[in-house]
Amino acid sequence: MFVMERAPASDKSRLASRLAWIAAAAWLAAVAGGFAFLWRYKSTPAPGGALAPERWPAASAVARAPDRATLLLFAHPRCVCTRASVAELARMMARFHDRVEARVLFWTPADAPRDWNATDLWTSAARIPGVTVLRDEGGREASRFAVATSGGVVLYDAFGRLLFRGGITAARGHEGDSFGQERIASLLTTGAADRADAPVFGCALDDEPPARMARAGTFTTNRGGKR
Amino acid sequence: MSVARKALEMTKAATEAIVQRAETRYEAHRQEILRTTDRMFAGLMIGQWIFAIFIALTFSPYGWQGKVKAIHMHVWIAVFLGAAITSLPVALAWFRPGELLTRHVIAAGQMLWSALLIHLTGGRIETHFHVFGSLAFLAFYRDWPVLLTGTVVVATEHLIRGILWPESVYGIPNPEWWRFLEHAFWVVFCISILIPSCRRGLRDMRVMAERGAELEALSENQWRTSSVVDRAAAETRGDR
Repeated sequence: MFVMERAPASDKSRLASRLAWIAAAAWLAAVAGGFAFLWRYKSTPAPGGALAPERWPAASAVARAPDRATLLLFAHPRCVCTRASVAELARMMARFHDRVEARVLFWTPADAPRDWNATDLWTSAARIPGVTVLRDEGGREASRFAVATSGGVVLYDAFGRLLFRGGITAARGHEGDSFGQERIASLLTTGAADRADAPVFGCALDDEPPARMARAGTFTTNRGGKR
Repeated sequence: MSVARKALEMTKAATEAIVQRAETRYEAHRQEILRTTDRMFAGLMIGQWIFAIFIALTFSPYGWQGKVKAIHMHVWIAVFLGAAITSLPVALAWFRPGELLTRHVIAAGQMLWSALLIHLTGGRIETHFHVFGSLAFLAFYRDWPVLLTGTVVVATEHLIRGILWPESVYGIPNPEWWRFLEHAFWVVFCISILIPSCRRGLRDMRVMAERGAELEALSENQWRTSSVVDRAAAETRGDR
């Protein structure tokens, strides 16, 4: 009668087994390193994301709402990370459409072809009720509001006083609640927030950031620290 | 030796033979399931890798700095981190199928794929369903410790990320301290159903193996009896 019995492991198979365990440990360490790199990439804010002036710039051609707050979202029309910012703007507008007017300004190079802004991001932003979509020719408005990063938001009250500057996503291209949204919500409902800024995650709006932003150098982390 | 005692010993030997045969059948069936599931996961891992690259190329092909575009980091992540996650599970499924280490590495790899796909889709809540789908697939092994490995990997990833970067896991920047338990609860809820189902599957396999062994023994006995009868008949015919 046939009975299956486990043959004693040879030296060769023992070595192979040991190597497999070592490979598993090395694999786990390598993959953990890859994820650490990914987390760092996604959670590192852009330098000088939004350093908007304390008063609404007089030179700005963008109309400010006289009876409520005005929110400006600066966007690179081809930055995929900004999809999350537009999605979060849609959520915010669904909640606060009666307290704020929003405009999305799409950065457009001076010599750009007509279809430069014809992207899904423009379409998505234009579909949000209460949001006006504008072209920011040559990034002039971004420069006036000192916003260097796509996804940068500035919020001014009806008197043109700065309430908030920063981003509304928790990480680069990552949907979900964030400090920025929490602070804007608090400002719009109670008039106060623990901080008036939040880190911005996204692509650079211009090939060369304006000199004053480069000089600023630092950026705010999610916890309010400086990097 | 009395006839009764001899009959008892023969019955005992026959029973032992059936038990051993059942064990052999059970082990062979279990190995077949483990190897088939290893192969299925090897294919799934490669499929997920291709899917991740497709997602990255379709939804985030380029990063921009003004007018200057460059390949988006997601594409590199999908290619290289995806390759890293896929490599060892596929290699082990190919070279060491059916082994304990292979299925535990596959369980870890599958959960890491969930994490990577969640990142590549920008944290979309819908992608989190991948975790629960993966746990269900891991139950195909009918080896419940594999589900524990998967749970530990996903829980560790959530715990570390929840401490360092809570918004990315919980969707809010200041989660309550117990929020981790809420996420863990749903995973535990899922595996608390899958684990008994795996154990029931193994019990069914054992019953099948025992019945198969009994049937085999029965048909063997029948074959022996009929060959004795045939021989006797042949001898009778020859005597004529």
